[in-house]
Amino acid sequence: MNRFFSIKLSFSLLPEFLLISGLVVLYFYRYEAGGWFFPLTALAAGTYAIVRFFLSILTRARFYSRMQDVLSTINEFKKGKFSTASNSGQTGKGPFSSLMSELSVMGKHLENILSTQKTEISNLRELYHNIVLSISSFFIALDEKEEIIFANESFCKKFQYELEDIVGKKIDTIFIFLTSTIRESIKRVLQGHEAVVLEKTHLVSANKISIIADIKLTTMVVKGRTQVIFVIDDVTAICKKDFQINLISQVSESIQRDDEIDSVLHAILIGVTSGSGLGFNRAMLFLANPRDKALKGKMAVGPDTMEEAIKIWSSVSECGVDIYSQLKSYNENKEGGGKLIEKVQTSSFSLKDEANIFVRALNSQEHIHVYDAYNDERVSEEIRGFMEVREFVVTPLVSVNKSLGVIVADNRFNQTPIGYDNIELLSIFAFQAALLIESYNNLHMIKKEMGKIRDRQEAMVESEKLAAVGRIASHIAHEIRNPLVTMGGYARRIVQLARDVPKTGESIAKAATVVLKESERLEKTLSNVMDFSRASHFIMEFNNINEVISDTYELLKNLFQERRLKVDLKLDDGIPLVKSDFNQMKQVMLNLFQNAIDATPPEGTVTVATGANGDRITVSVKDSGLGMADDDIHRIFEPFYSTKVTGVGLGLSIVKKIITDHNGEVSVTSKKDGGSEFLINLPIPK
Amino acid sequence: MSMRHGSLAVCVKDHFWEEHAMSKILIVEDEQHQRELYAMELQEEGYQVDQASNGKEAVELVKNNKYDLVVLDIRMPEMDGIEALGKILSRDKKIPIIIYTAYSNYKSNFMTWTADAYITKSSNLGELKEKIAEILASRSK
Repeated sequence: MNRFFSIKLSFSLLPEFLLISGLVVLYFYRYEAGGWFFPLTALAAGTYAIVRFFLSILTRARFYSRMQDVLSTINEFKKGKFSTASNSGQTGKGPFSSLMSELSVMGKHLENILSTQKTEISNLRELYHNIVLSISSFFIALDEKEEIIFANESFCKKFQYELEDIVGKKIDTIFIFLTSTIRESIKRVLQGHEAVVLEKTHLVSANKISIIADIKLTTMVVKGRTQVIFVIDDVTAICKKDFQINLISQVSESIQRDDEIDSVLHAILIGVTSGSGLGFNRAMLFLANPRDKALKGKMAVGPDTMEEAIKIWSSVSECGVDIYSQLKSYNENKEGGGKLIEKVQTSSFSLKDEANIFVRALNSQEHIHVYDAYNDERVSEEIRGFMEVREFVVTPLVSVNKSLGVIVADNRFNQTPIGYDNIELLSIFAFQAALLIESYNNLHMIKKEMGKIRDRQEAMVESEKLAAVGRIASHIAHEIRNPLVTMGGYARRIVQLARDVPKTGESIAKAATVVLKESERLEKTLSNVMDFSRASHFIMEFNNINEVISDTYELLKNLFQERRLKVDLKLDDGIPLVKSDFNQMKQVMLNLFQNAIDATPPEGTVTVATGANGDRITVSVKDSGLGMADDDIHRIFEPFYSTKVTGVGLGLSIVKKIITDHNGEVSVTSKKDGGSEFLINLPIPK
Repeated sequence: MSMRHGSLAVCVKDHFWEEHAMSKILIVEDEQHQRELYAMELQEEGYQVDQASNGKEAVELVKNNKYDLVVLDIRMPEMDGIEALGKILSRDKKIPIIIYTAYSNYKSNFMTWTADAYITKSSNLGELKEKIAEILASRSK
């Protein structure tokens, strides 16, 4: 630029240069001719030229400096500094001054525009900032490598991170786990798909802050690079309400379904723990057992380790609580918690130990919230070791002022503080569970009583039938015996009187004796068949009891098959013979078999075993039936009715009678629902 | 006639039997042949025997006579043995009563009525006779 100016400068001074050079030539030429005119003129012209020359140089120099000013001002403008123009070029007149003043005005103008825009921008920025702050949404931006490049303040605040600490870190180091749906969605939006909205997703940060969030994933291209934007809305509070209402209705529904109590209680525990971000991490149920004076672990739900917890949480969908499908999947997969369940189910705390915090909650009928188990005096070492957690809550199950047990719950894994609403929820469930247990117990009792009544009724009908048969038989026996007695009595008389009759007397007596003997025989038969109450006239012979059993079994084989009962004969071939009446023994076995058949439901087993024990042989008839209550065992050998008439199938009293008549013993052992065993022993003759 | 026959028999007995012959027995039995059979057999044993064919007659006879023993059937028309037993005992608690019936299973029920013995009817009257002798012997002491 300077060279350009110097060239231009030398060209513009050309006339002066020519004039001065002409004058110099003239001077030297005319001076030789003499005179004063020429030198004077030449001097004047020379002076003028010289002055002009210098003047012009001066002018040009000034122009140049002005020009420099303008250029520097323009340069300043270019740099965006408009205010500098107003400082210079204000003085003097001429084109440059006006130019400068023009520039200055322009500068001022521009500066005005600029400053207005600046305020506007800062206003906008403030507004934007306010908006961002005022909505609860959290923003994070990821680059293509899923590393965080930005997180807004609310995000940092919620998850308790410093921005500097998370920028540049991969997203999976910020959150403990990302569900497969989130991972998928990141990939999808990176591949150019439209925005993805994930509703009610569980997020747990590395520092154990857990929320339920609606997540919107979009992409943004900044300087040619794709960023993934997460807009996270915390919906935990809304979800919680929905979740609780849903849960309560489901549990009530399950109660109405009349399911097994265990599965409903299990459903309650799952309810309390499901929705990992909403419910508790673990829940344990303990029931008071008044008989053993102990609080015993019944069941538990919850993972054993953090890994298990993550596995469960990342597979379970949030809020969409369906306890039954969860219960089902829980039973099928047995997802973790094995150790916890075992630990709880084998635990037992004495009800007398009133210092025990579980027992204390049970007795006081109020929940106990332990914030710091390791420093809370109420918590014993035993419980600390059992719970292995700092914060937990114990809620009693109270029904009609009666404490039935406690539910203990904690957040062992995500360590979320236990809030009031969680405790409230737990109390509701505890109440439901208590009601359920109470009504179940009542129902159970009623069912049991009903069963007893029904059994008694059946027994009454049965014994009434037997009694009716007995009465008829007794009547028939009476009607037969009467004429027999008359016949026999007179025949006997004939025999006596005939002795005095000559000649024919003997043959009359003989004939009458036949009548007498036959009627005596009939009488005896009548007695044997009908009259067990009188000492029977046994035909004592040496019998093998095994044969008696086999014989009787053959007799009842079809009946066993019909009832689909398995008969297991474990007969000891080596048993000695016993002195007994074969038919009587058969009657005994018949009655015991009949009894076993009646007591055993289909597909059951009747086991008959014989053996020798010292000076006695033993016979055992064992069924896999319903067993008997203690009351029944004591009365089982009593006859139903005092008017009982002997005959087939009159029950165990006949068994007892016959065995006692054989100098043997009969006893029974029975467990409710565990079947009964009749044990007979008979003396081995010496 | 049968009574005369009985008293004839008494005449031939010695002093011991005379005492027994004094024993008066009431037979209550609805079946005539049986009743007559018992009466004959017991008279031959030396007892004085009266007969009644039902409970009602028996109660009437007990009102007007003194018996040393009553043999009582159970099933009878008009008034059965159970009712008669109660009525007889309510008049005279000490009178020995033997239940003699074709039923074999009323024993336990009659225990409450404090009958002295319970015997099932048989064509052989030996058991009945033994029981009567036994009871009368214990009473005469």
